[in-house]
Amino acid sequence: MFDQIFGNYLVESGRMTKEQFEKVIERQSTVRVKLGLIAVSEKLMTAQQADEVNMLQSVMDKRFGDIAVEKGYLTDDQVGQLLKKQGNIYLTFVQTLVDEAICSLEDIAAFLDDYKQESGFSATDMADFVSGDPDKIIALFLPADNNYCARLCGVAVRTLTRIVDSTAYISKAYLTDKLDAGHGAFQAMECAFQITSGFAGEGKNLLAMAVPFAKEEFEEVDIDALDAVGEFTNCVNGLFSSALSEEDVEIDMLPPVFYEHKITITGRFYILPVTIRGCRMNFIVSADSPLIIQ
Amino acid sequence: MANILMVDDSRTSRRILRQILEQEGHTVVEEAVNGEDGVRKFQQHRPDMVTMDITMPVLDGIEALKMIKALKSDSKVIMVSAAGQKSKILECLKAGADEFITKPFQQNEIVEAVKRIVGKDSSISAV
Repeated sequence: MFDQIFGNYLVESGRMTKEQFEKVIERQSTVRVKLGLIAVSEKLMTAQQADEVNMLQSVMDKRFGDIAVEKGYLTDDQVGQLLKKQGNIYLTFVQTLVDEAICSLEDIAAFLDDYKQESGFSATDMADFVSGDPDKIIALFLPADNNYCARLCGVAVRTLTRIVDSTAYISKAYLTDKLDAGHGAFQAMECAFQITSGFAGEGKNLLAMAVPFAKEEFEEVDIDALDAVGEFTNCVNGLFSSALSEEDVEIDMLPPVFYEHKITITGRFYILPVTIRGCRMNFIVSADSPLIIQ
Repeated sequence: MANILMVDDSRTSRRILRQILEQEGHTVVEEAVNGEDGVRKFQQHRPDMVTMDITMPVLDGIEALKMIKALKSDSKVIMVSAAGQKSKILECLKAGADEFITKPFQQNEIVEAVKRIVGKDSSISAV
């Protein structure tokens, strides 16, 4: 997540070209090895165990290390050692920028300072940003004042990067009371509190999610593409509801609803901007009142 | 190989599930878009097995499961749903569901669940 957020910031602010960024990402993907692969090569897990954990990870809102510890395949200490071997994504990204002669270490320090100022981040936030821990990075961009909304946004982002597109990244969430959008798919959930979530986008942007999730080519954001977006939302809400059921909070999910044409959303709700392959869309979560979609 | 009825309001989910089942040599005899449609098509086709979503309009999957079990107590039903809350899983198992798979699912979860049911039921051809 760090590489996508900071890399896109550098591209958008004209400090790196799109082509240079693509080269950096390509080079990084050859350097950064998956945790399961390291665990198997270190003989801490069998290939079968790693496959099992990878499979579980794709259907659960948990990290590889957490699942491996739960299954008794690794200890917390071993996960720590493996993460060290895997390397900090911030350090490998910076190293690649320098190796490719895109910028110097001094430039990067200055760019990070600019990013800190422009994002309104504190020194502690920046420490989390460069920590290499995706959960800490995601938390920086989530709503700060609503626990359930933040948790739901967190599940959405992790699920998105895990099963739709690993290069997806987010911008800072914000609270608003009105949004116009070209299309959208939403799902309401009922419990002690009411919460509705979904995705809205302009033009063909929602296809960046619908196509890889459904593994189907769509020409337009039609009802079939929106069904894919709605089904992804349903999966996110299901993972969120399952996690809350462990805390004895019961949630009933209602069937998703789709809007093929222009909509205006009103109420009090959070917007978490999500970018997938250059296509911007918004994950929307109602804050403390129902969403009105017209 | 089993004749299977799929009940799910999501076209995306039905399409992915159909691909997995047909790749394994099973036949999807019919698709239903909600619980009521599912019960009606179950009566028409009497499939070997049903895959059943929970969150659906008109009639939800748990009610449809109960109605199908009332029609044929030994019918085989695999719940395939994002609603993976403990209470939902327990309610489905109490109502007679044979398997519960949470979305987003992996291909082998579906394949293995169907295999387990085929293995237990001698009336379904394993070939």
